[in-house]
Amino acid sequence: MSLSQGRPDDPGGDVGRAAGRPRADGALALGLVAALLAVGLLAVTSGPAEIGPGTAVRAILAGLGLGGAEAVSELHRAIVVELRLPRVVTAACVGAGLGLCGAVMQGITRNPLADPYLLGLSSGAAVGAVAAILAGAALLLPLGAFLGALAALGLTLGLAGALGAITPTRVILAGIAVSAFASAVTSLLIFWSSAGDSYREILSWLMGSLAGAGWREAGIAAAALALVGGPVLLIGRALDAFTFGDRAAAALGVAVARTRWALLLATALLTGFLVSVSGAIGFVGLVVPNALRLVVGARHRQLLPLSALAGAVVLIAADTAARSLFVPRELPVGIVTAMIGAPAFLAILLRHRGAT
Amino acid sequence: MRLAAWPGCAVAPLLRWGASGRRHRADYGGGPQVRLAVAACLSLGVIVPASGFVTGPAWAAGAGFPLTLRNCGATLTLEAPPQRLVAVKSSMVELVLALGLGERLVGVAFLDGPIPTEPGPGGGPAAAPDLPVLSDRVPAQEVVLETAPDLVLAGWESVLTASGAGARDSYAALGIATYVAPVACRSGPDRPDRITFEDVFAQTLEVGRILGVPERAERLVAAQRAQLAGVAAREGLSALWYSSGTATPFVGGGLGGPQMMLEALGLSNIMADIPDSWASVSWEAVAVREPDVIVLVDAVWNPVAQKRQLLAAMPVTRGLAAVAEERYLVIDFAAAEPGVRSVPALLDLAAQLEGLGGAE
Repeated sequence: MSLSQGRPDDPGGDVGRAAGRPRADGALALGLVAALLAVGLLAVTSGPAEIGPGTAVRAILAGLGLGGAEAVSELHRAIVVELRLPRVVTAACVGAGLGLCGAVMQGITRNPLADPYLLGLSSGAAVGAVAAILAGAALLLPLGAFLGALAALGLTLGLAGALGAITPTRVILAGIAVSAFASAVTSLLIFWSSAGDSYREILSWLMGSLAGAGWREAGIAAAALALVGGPVLLIGRALDAFTFGDRAAAALGVAVARTRWALLLATALLTGFLVSVSGAIGFVGLVVPNALRLVVGARHRQLLPLSALAGAVVLIAADTAARSLFVPRELPVGIVTAMIGAPAFLAILLRHRGAT
Repeated sequence: MRLAAWPGCAVAPLLRWGASGRRHRADYGGGPQVRLAVAACLSLGVIVPASGFVTGPAWAAGAGFPLTLRNCGATLTLEAPPQRLVAVKSSMVELVLALGLGERLVGVAFLDGPIPTEPGPGGGPAAAPDLPVLSDRVPAQEVVLETAPDLVLAGWESVLTASGAGARDSYAALGIATYVAPVACRSGPDRPDRITFEDVFAQTLEVGRILGVPERAERLVAAQRAQLAGVAAREGLSALWYSSGTATPFVGGGLGGPQMMLEALGLSNIMADIPDSWASVSWEAVAVREPDVIVLVDAVWNPVAQKRQLLAAMPVTRGLAAVAEERYLVIDFAAAEPGVRSVPALLDLAAQLEGLGGAE
């Protein structure tokens, strides 16, 4: 299957930008790391309970067993260490993973609109996750989510291929169809299985929520990011060779088909794990890499790690907003990302008017 | 023509009553002729304007008919007390039963749990032995229509929408009256600002009038009023009303049934600042507001044992005094919705609160 029919993304501009600006990239990376720390601290110190930075830091130190436990009340320690911190870590890992998946998928398909959510992977993973829960196999939840994501990816690309040459528009259209179908299946599963008002719980699979994230979820997301995201970062560097077409990439010594499929499988795996933790959170994987591409161009060696960093920042911020905007109420974070992401999606469409 | 048709309308259901013998028979929808007769009657009911001189036969209509009233954004006009009722949600089913009119129920649906079997407070039987259950959840409109009802009573406004059991207009077009429990009205000018026991009593009285048994409703309300007056509020404690949910608990806010109940118990609702009946909140907000007492709603799908387990396991809640000392009050899910069961449930909660003894 050839995924290379789309036009290279703005090759002239990329060549210009690719001329090398290591200092600017370094500054951007540093800025993002600083933003990550800042938004992380903000997240740990905001919420219904008034906990200042000092108390938060002391609580974290106490949680790590580094003393100072007597200076922090048990309630504050529990709120910071058991509620807010694992949630921030989970948000960071899920956001990073989604940003990375989006950047990789956009690179492979040479389609600025590709993203785990729009291509149906997230919805497929949600079907797998909900099915695993209903089957009473909660431990197999990440596996179910991965299989769901893989099936959705296969369906989307297969559908797009059946329409003819795989163009960005066809992939998106196929993704919409698969996504709608997968959401319908999830809704059906929920409709049949839920009693009373328990649907509210399962709804978080469709909308995406980090409300239930404890240390177990943080561990799953972090492990997935390290074990799958790490290799993706390394292999993804080869995407730079794809910019000028498959033939050019082959000429540069890249095993085109193998690299592409390895990356696609890896994104499906990573998406599956992330969705098993957070439900289907949309638009992070779409918006973050596109925004960064405005700054760094399509150089994947830089784009991939920066997308991961920025994705983490964005999702922590969005989740903090979701739980602090309407205290004491909570919104599913997917509502926040969609509110910001849908207009950004439109902006990307307008920017790529010619290419889609 | 019109006047001649009226007795026929009233008689048709009675004939079928005799013919089918038992009211729970599956074929109670009747044969084609009967359906035609019903349809003709119903359509007449629509055509006839609700002007003063049109009155039903005296033997069919109680005093106060024809009856016209506003109900949650719609106008309801009844020529005579409805005889074939479909009630959706436990609150409406239990109200009909409390008024002693269980035999008029041709269909019930979306029951929150088992119907209580002890006699109701107003003297009417609280339970009918075999209710004709149409569906576990919101029934499809055709399922409702098949029972040939003349009134559909809905415990939630959302029941009577196109995606639920059918829109109110579509029932009106068939000459079938629809009624939304006023305390459950969520939209438009008829939405109550804040549910009180007066709203609950007004609802009981209104349904009593609609069903042609105003005296029974008055007796029921008088009995409940007396019971309510006997509840001594116990001041000084705060409470959380925990309905369902695990990651984001679904709790009682400041405007609905939970607030009404907590206030009557003298408990201050820690989520009273939420301008809604119910809301999803964060555990952090619960922990930091430190409720003295927690009301646990017992639902089949989210039983009290599960809630106790969760509260005791979560680091942020297990340190709360209410959790450590198990200062819990338990209420049945069906009784947690404001309605005819509110007062009996309140008495029960008050007794439980008394039993907690030395809280604070």
